Amino acid sequence: MRASLLFAAALLAISGCVEDYDVAEVAPGEHLDEEHHHEEGDYCEECHDDHDHDHAHADEEGVHHSGDATPSGHSHDAGVRNHGTQWFFNQPWAARFIWGKLARDGAMFLLLAGIIFFLSGRRRRR
Amino acid sequence: MRTVFTFSLMTLRMLFRRRTLWGILLVILLGLGGIASVPTFDVSNQGRFILDFGLFGIEVGALLLALGLAASLYPRDRETKTIMPLLAVPLSRGQYLMGRFFGAALVQAAALLVSCLGLMLILLFNGLPIPGNLLPATLLILVEGWFLLSTVFFFSFFASPPLNWPLTTMLFIVSQMSVAEFIGLMPSSPGLMRTLRLLLPHADVFHIKDPIAHGFEIEPLYFVVAVFYGLCYSAFMLSLALAVFRGRDLK
Repeated sequence: MRASLLFAAALLAISGCVEDYDVAEVAPGEHLDEEHHHEEGDYCEECHDDHDHDHAHADEEGVHHSGDATPSGHSHDAGVRNHGTQWFFNQPWAARFIWGKLARDGAMFLLLAGIIFFLSGRRRRR
Repeated sequence: MRTVFTFSLMTLRMLFRRRTLWGILLVILLGLGGIASVPTFDVSNQGRFILDFGLFGIEVGALLLALGLAASLYPRDRETKTIMPLLAVPLSRGQYLMGRFFGAALVQAAALLVSCLGLMLILLFNGLPIPGNLLPATLLILVEGWFLLSTVFFFSFFASPPLNWPLTTMLFIVSQMSVAEFIGLMPSSPGLMRTLRLLLPHADVFHIKDPIAHGFEIEPLYFVVAVFYGLCYSAFMLSLALAVFRGRDLK
């Protein structure tokens, strides 16, 4: 029992110590970057917005979007990330690059389950 | 396999006769009813609130069900000595564990399905659309519930039910944490905390209430990967439980 537990812990540690899949830790730069980034006070060409003041975006007809306002007071079109939404996209369902790691960890747990099952049964037969 | 199936049906019938199951189900439905009765004050996107809190309520319900159904199964069998004749001839220890687990897992699935239907009814009564991913989201919560169930079985072989409840709840809470949050519990030992976190599951894998509430589509492949991960971790916990159970002297 003790040996199997130690073995399980060692295998887990070996497989996982390289990196864990906290999305914020292992995400590539393009995932973490918001669609475009600018500091408070900068003029944004894409937003046509001086970030010193809050206002809503207006479209060509002058109609203001009624989407969720961000801290800077404007929102982007559907499919474009708004500012301050990184937490939302740092969840596993949105981070495709960790799905392989999830599957790998699952396979590792299954293997460990088999090993523990086998070892504990063998010990009991003795 | 047939033995396990028969024993799991026996477990299922036994659990349906218990009042614990009905009590927990009532609490979940009352909680969902409470969420539905919160006034909207004409706030737009009320559906997001109901979905978000409703799925959270179902998740907490999964934890309560796992504890209520399984925490006292083995201790009671041992106390009433019914485990002795069961293990004497008809069942191996593995079959006993699997039979009990599958029985409780089926009951948990039925209860969570009822809760999901309750949430759907609440959305309908409020004139809100039912998202297509609501059932898959409940399936992921169910997989998380099965993981919790296997954890409860693991603890039940060496801890009494009153100790099992806080242990499983603590595991439930820490498995929701990211690595950074978990290290924050003891910042002086980041290496130790990181290693410990590796052994714990990542429960955020099973949570898709945010994208559902905000109308995001989720790729079907994600469900497959998340279910696979959850089932494998449950198998791992069950194998640990069996290893402990096999080492127990029942005399």
